[in-house]
Amino acid sequence: MHSDADLITLMARYQDGDPSAATALVGQLSPTLHRFFMMQHLSRRHADDLLQETWLRIHEIRNTYRPGEPVLPWLYAIARHIRVDHYRKVVRIEMREQQVEQFPEASPSRQERAVVDLDALLSSLPESQREVIVMLKVSGMSLDEIARATSSSVGSVKQKAHRAYAQLRDQLTRMGFGKARAGGHS
Amino acid sequence: MSNKEIDEMLKSVPQEMDPSLLANIEKSMLATLAPVRPLPPPWIQTASLIALVGMISVIGAAILGFEGVRRLGIERIGLIFPTLVLFTILAAALSVAEMVPGSFRIAEPRAVLAALVLAIIVLFASLFHADDTPRFVPKGIACLVVGLLVAIPTALASWLVLRRGFAVNAASAGLAAGTLAGLAGVITLELHCPNFGAMHVTIWHTAVIPVAAYAGAAVGHFFRHK
Repeated sequence: MHSDADLITLMARYQDGDPSAATALVGQLSPTLHRFFMMQHLSRRHADDLLQETWLRIHEIRNTYRPGEPVLPWLYAIARHIRVDHYRKVVRIEMREQQVEQFPEASPSRQERAVVDLDALLSSLPESQREVIVMLKVSGMSLDEIARATSSSVGSVKQKAHRAYAQLRDQLTRMGFGKARAGGHS
Repeated sequence: MSNKEIDEMLKSVPQEMDPSLLANIEKSMLATLAPVRPLPPPWIQTASLIALVGMISVIGAAILGFEGVRRLGIERIGLIFPTLVLFTILAAALSVAEMVPGSFRIAEPRAVLAALVLAIIVLFASLFHADDTPRFVPKGIACLVVGLLVAIPTALASWLVLRRGFAVNAASAGLAAGTLAGLAGVITLELHCPNFGAMHVTIWHTAVIPVAAYAGAAVGHFFRHK
């Protein structure tokens, strides 16, 4: 996981036009950003497109980052914006078409996934809760950072995370995960 | 199953990244990489917006005449203008925050608009008691138009201050900027309008704010889809 101070320094250097800082930022932040898109119920192709589009937008508006401010809320606010735009433009249409034509079968990437199909598990959560869980646990953001990125309050983020955990726990227990671990609940 | 176990499960997701994708991204970014000037600190932008609102509303009243403020009385002046200045500071700070992705947000612009309009209605209703004059609607519409005519240049000037930013929610940013512009209109009306009818001031002067705010939101929404 990258530290805030490192990212702040890299962003300042990137704004100064340092190519190595740009490369380092792309290398360090792309995997979590990509996972952020993948876990939002998007196909790999769409996640790739959105990652590319997000970086291009970041590049275009890199002046809007204020030196010294946390980088992740800025970055994820832009990524969210790109995802919402994309969802409006493309995914809704494609999903409708898929529903009419055929039910999607498990893609190879799903089959490759570890013990639990996280994609399917997370897809059962409402979008706002899924987004919070992914930012919190996969991207490693703090509650305050998520509140900034999602333009909401820390209390609302906490509530969404709490509800998401409760739902995930229920679902995993139903799938037999809780029982297998000596009593289940913490 | 414990939260910790769920956390571990979430963190164990494999990082499937295509190296050629990263290479493409880097290539397109590096091709146009040049130093950029970051946005000024928020307080500078906020102060600029407040100064603009003050300047444009006073210019508006100077053109139309200061009959209103001359007849208002010290008590009303002492309550109305500090309240409007306070709301202007709030709306300016909100407008600045809306133009920077991931910035700290004091409150949701729609909630601020609602609270602000309600507070102004209560303030005006408690300060003005005169009976309303005849031609309530034509006189009211005239004031509404004057307020909006002041709000338009304020909104345009605000755009000059905020144009280097980026709104992740264009409608919300438009609403915040429209609220600010509407406040400039109300300040001008309080300086200018000598009509102290309770209903006139409460309804028509206050109406400038939501009308300007929703016009701003509509403009933001329109440009988002352009």
